[in-house]
Amino acid sequence: MYGTSAKILRVDLTQREIRTEILPEDFYRLYPGGKALAGYILLNEMKAGVDPFSPENVLVIANGLLTGAPVSTATRYIVSARSPLTLGYGESEAGGFWGPELKMAGFEAVVVKGRASEPLYLWIHDGEAELKSASHLWGRLTAEVQEAIRAELGDEKIRVLQIGPAGEKLVRFAGLTNDLRHFNGRNGLGAVMGSKNLRAVAVRGSQRYQSFAADPEALMALGRKLAKGVKENPISWDLQDKGTLGIVEPMNAGGILPTRNFRQGAFEAVDEVKWDAYEKQLLTARRSCYACAVRCKREVAVNGRVSEYGGPEYETLGAFGPNCGISDLQAIAQANELCNAYMLDSISTGATISFAMECFEHGLLTLKDTGGIDLRFGNAQAMLAMVEMIARREGLGDLLAEGSRRAAEKIGGDAAFFAMQVKGQELAMHEPRGKYNVGMGYAISEIGADHLVVAHDTALVNPESLQFKGATALGITKALPARSFGREKMEHFYTLERWNSLEKVIGYCFFGPTPRSYIAVEDVITSINAASGWSLSVEDALLIGERATNMARIFNLREGFTRKDDTLPERLFQGLENGSLQGCALPRDEFEESLSILYALKGWDPQTGIPTSEKLRALSLDWAAVMLPQG
Amino acid sequence: MILRAGGYLTYYMPGRKKALRMRLPAARPLAEILTDLQIPLAEVDLVAVNRVLADLDVLVQDEDEVTIYSSVNGG
Ligand code: SF4
Repeated sequence: MYGTSAKILRVDLTQREIRTEILPEDFYRLYPGGKALAGYILLNEMKAGVDPFSPENVLVIANGLLTGAPVSTATRYIVSARSPLTLGYGESEAGGFWGPELKMAGFEAVVVKGRASEPLYLWIHDGEAELKSASHLWGRLTAEVQEAIRAELGDEKIRVLQIGPAGEKLVRFAGLTNDLRHFNGRNGLGAVMGSKNLRAVAVRGSQRYQSFAADPEALMALGRKLAKGVKENPISWDLQDKGTLGIVEPMNAGGILPTRNFRQGAFEAVDEVKWDAYEKQLLTARRSCYACAVRCKREVAVNGRVSEYGGPEYETLGAFGPNCGISDLQAIAQANELCNAYMLDSISTGATISFAMECFEHGLLTLKDTGGIDLRFGNAQAMLAMVEMIARREGLGDLLAEGSRRAAEKIGGDAAFFAMQVKGQELAMHEPRGKYNVGMGYAISEIGADHLVVAHDTALVNPESLQFKGATALGITKALPARSFGREKMEHFYTLERWNSLEKVIGYCFFGPTPRSYIAVEDVITSINAASGWSLSVEDALLIGERATNMARIFNLREGFTRKDDTLPERLFQGLENGSLQGCALPRDEFEESLSILYALKGWDPQTGIPTSEKLRALSLDWAAVMLPQG
Repeated sequence: MILRAGGYLTYYMPGRKKALRMRLPAARPLAEILTDLQIPLAEVDLVAVNRVLADLDVLVQDEDEVTIYSSVNGG
């Protein structure tokens, strides 16, 4: 078998046992890593109703087929388990260097079960693995832990994937970090790892991806072409120049910059947080993930010193900046550092604080609740204090550490209206009232409000644009307005969702392939085939993505999720308060109608959203039929 | 006029500059100015003249500040 060692490391923390499993090729063709492998394992090795913090929850860390290939942006791995935030299928992906290093150490995935009786970390090196005590690391910030593990094992090049103190304290949106700068932020999977008493997974390997590839020459040639191509494409060139921050100003102009807990679409102080200000006040260097030519990562100075935690990306800046009414870039960069040192998801942390700010302004939370903190929109010091309180579960932070949905239930009154979440996960910093399919993605995503389900509507509004032309190879033929639902729009959604899901299976970053960025559909397919020796067509590849999405759907259906969970916060059906889309709301009837159309396109029952038996058969998922709700 | 580019439109600006000052002896439609500069109109998603949204046919005067934005996708 090519493109993979096909080896999975299985770790039972309760028994302190480690073993290696080798996957057969016919299995790997159906589930070639990442989201697909995780979905299969979670469905087959966990029963419904498992408490996310119990030893029975299964934590899967899985590379994609291409993770670590010498091809720009093929860097991603995913972490998966039952999410403590949504109680559904949990998933979060990240780039960096850890996934490629795991591949070079001879493994595709790590599957962790049970719970250790004391804090441990896992040390994987060139085909071997051992559990080591982490008692001396427990409670320490992520930078200290990374340094301590590298010193203990005597190798500065070890890649450390870890949780932080927030994961130890079971904050429901605690994440994982590798190299302190790359994050599996979403869905609270750091808390799952914390509940298992597993602080870190350290990896070092010496193999090369080329030794796995069916056609290493073809892969290298493609790698060279893509490395050069970054600067020849305006979109990837811009990602390299401004990182993800380049979108702040256009979003504000378009009225789709989430501001003050999604009440508004434009921020009056945007000039203080847009890229030009960031570049002038914060930026010290541009950084990258493994072998990635795009180099969208930023390094910044916080309080006069270069931060070891990297710089805030757009989502972080949006969540702690405009959405909290804050324009103080230094404070935003400090919030980013705090999230990464304690390892909190910066989107959910910022969005839960903006929720609390709105509750405070409406008198649902008082100075007594906040411990004297004036938690109004725009108060940067209050925001910073809340980040630390959440990470440590102190005072009001203990309630907010449960996420906005659970906090709203406790607070009562109108608080539920202010909780901008779907399935319990807070919205990312993208405004659905200007991009309807982003809203559909928030609603239907298995992991709760996720902004990476489909390429955003704005990419496909002009048939002559680069992004639209890139998408035509996926079968998209008609440009459609960003603010529209309907059958044709759902056809876009269905295609783009399978494509993005494929990326999460094989290990490409969202900022690599078209239409978001510069790698052509044809080149993605070439890379899969050169690595694996298969001869997949575009349709075959889309089927892989679709299979993965369906397994995640089945996981949720088995947990009791229904159509009513595929919904959106009430606020989005009301008009924006300001900006160029002032007064614009999502049309509720069209949303519901389009949801039924989308279900049908996906081969699901149009009313219930349950996959039909024909669809399961087409996806070779017949085995999962027994897991579906009956009737 | 001052022409500013937001999003990935900077790529198409002469010298890849974020902003450009031009002399406009008479008012001209923005689309014509951009075509002269070889900035593809298909990539222009939004136009603001003196911070007010406009379209590509807008007549631009010498004293105007014009910003053009590309479309924005996920972050
Ligand atoms: S585009 Fe950015 S996030 Fe994606 S792999 Fe490259 S450097 Fe990492």
